[in-house]
Amino acid sequence: MTVTTDPVALNQWVPCAWDGQIPVGGSLDTMIFGQPIHVQRTGEDSYRVAAVDGTTERELPVQVRYTCVFTTLGDTPRPLPEIAEFDEADRRITGCGNVGVNTSPYRLVENFLDMAHFAFIHTDVLGALDQTEVLAYRTEHRKEVDEIWAIDCTFYQPAASKAATGGQLTRYVYRVMSPFSVMLYKNVVTDPSRNDAICVFIQPKRETECLAYMPMAIVDEVSTVGDLIDFQQSIFLQDRVILENQRPALLPLDPTSELPTRADASSIAYRRWLKAMDIRFGILEKQAA
Amino acid sequence: MSVARELWTGVALDDQIQAASSNPVILDGQALAVWRGEEGPVRVWEDRCPHRGMRLSFGFVRGETLRCIYHGWTYATDGQCLAIPAHPTLAPPKTICASTYPSETRYGIVWTKLDGGSNGAALPDLGPDEGWEPVRSLFVHAAASPVLEALLNCDLGQQGPVHMVAENAAEVEIGPELRVLVAVHAMDDERTALHAVARGPRAASERAGLARRLERLRDDIERA
Repeated sequence: MTVTTDPVALNQWVPCAWDGQIPVGGSLDTMIFGQPIHVQRTGEDSYRVAAVDGTTERELPVQVRYTCVFTTLGDTPRPLPEIAEFDEADRRITGCGNVGVNTSPYRLVENFLDMAHFAFIHTDVLGALDQTEVLAYRTEHRKEVDEIWAIDCTFYQPAASKAATGGQLTRYVYRVMSPFSVMLYKNVVTDPSRNDAICVFIQPKRETECLAYMPMAIVDEVSTVGDLIDFQQSIFLQDRVILENQRPALLPLDPTSELPTRADASSIAYRRWLKAMDIRFGILEKQAA
Repeated sequence: MSVARELWTGVALDDQIQAASSNPVILDGQALAVWRGEEGPVRVWEDRCPHRGMRLSFGFVRGETLRCIYHGWTYATDGQCLAIPAHPTLAPPKTICASTYPSETRYGIVWTKLDGGSNGAALPDLGPDEGWEPVRSLFVHAAASPVLEALLNCDLGQQGPVHMVAENAAEVEIGPELRVLVAVHAMDDERTALHAVARGPRAASERAGLARRLERLRDDIERA
């Protein structure tokens, strides 16, 4: 495809590498929104990103946060979200690399927001086949930050995290921070007063081709970084099979094309929000005839 | 050849669709889930859960229901949603229904048509349903029209003329005791499936030989 002309999509910060993926002095070629880009690591903490069109290069803005290297094609991008947990001294901050998923970015966000699939796709880990009920929760459009939140979420989980030693009723708060990024707070198994923070930042390469990055700020003094990454990646790979077999891969915003139920309240709020911002990239109804 | 939507097309051999299984099939570019309950006939549905678009060919069968793998939504044989596990006490609204296509099993072949109405030709009529033995299904890298043409001129061994029993099915008589029926199934512009069955006292013993001749037919088409 050609580069998207959708101003809403262009004006988002998106990840284009994870910090550490490229050795100092090295580079990689990748793509965002159909635009080929070149990512160079110029120093220990410095990167240069450029849009590449044939032999000409146009330098793009860069920032390194939440274990990722972010860039944008827009002139007035929506700021990156503030996630305070990544600044807490005792947090285990880890990036989990990235995983390629051939679908639209919105299918990824909706999967991340969805508790109803835990029992079926993450059986005996994040859900159990004899406890499939999704209890009522609330969704909010927080206008001051223009984010979608789902609060008061609870779900029974046999093994909620790497640190879990048994089943628990896990409390979740979900936060959609941009069309291409989402996170959750879930109560820590060993300390009910604190929440693990787990994010998904999506690099949309093309409309139905993404790389997903999963930065986490976890409270866990025992597990190794390798254990934490293994747990998160094994969950994500179970989801990928689903994500790549939803049809259409593009997201339909017409409310009659897919039929939600109460458990999908967060997805309903997310789709309304996308519709209101008139985003076109990766949206079924916005394809050129 | 584009498939006439009101035309019955053979899309699988009945004995290939195992009990309690759901299977992906493509007909004229449309993704279908071809599934069978723990007992009972084969059903042909759109390969898409109406909830979040997950392929129902990934689904799992319990009794005579098909359940979507993503969230366990449970569908009866008429497509009606019976249960949503996220809300165990909720009676699903009648509007939640999987899209179904007509399906009939005849002569050991599962037939369907994309137009659900009663328009169009009837199923091929070759007499009684009993006694047909599966030969095999083959997948050819070619559009349906050259496959049909090659089938009309094929040599299955000491045969009479090939005659069309429908726009997309042919019958061949091989001597007095062996009849072969081949359904031509257009998957898309580049792929065609053939589903062959045979009837007569020699049907079982000739099965392997017929399958080899059909494979040769495929090789000839793909080389052409």
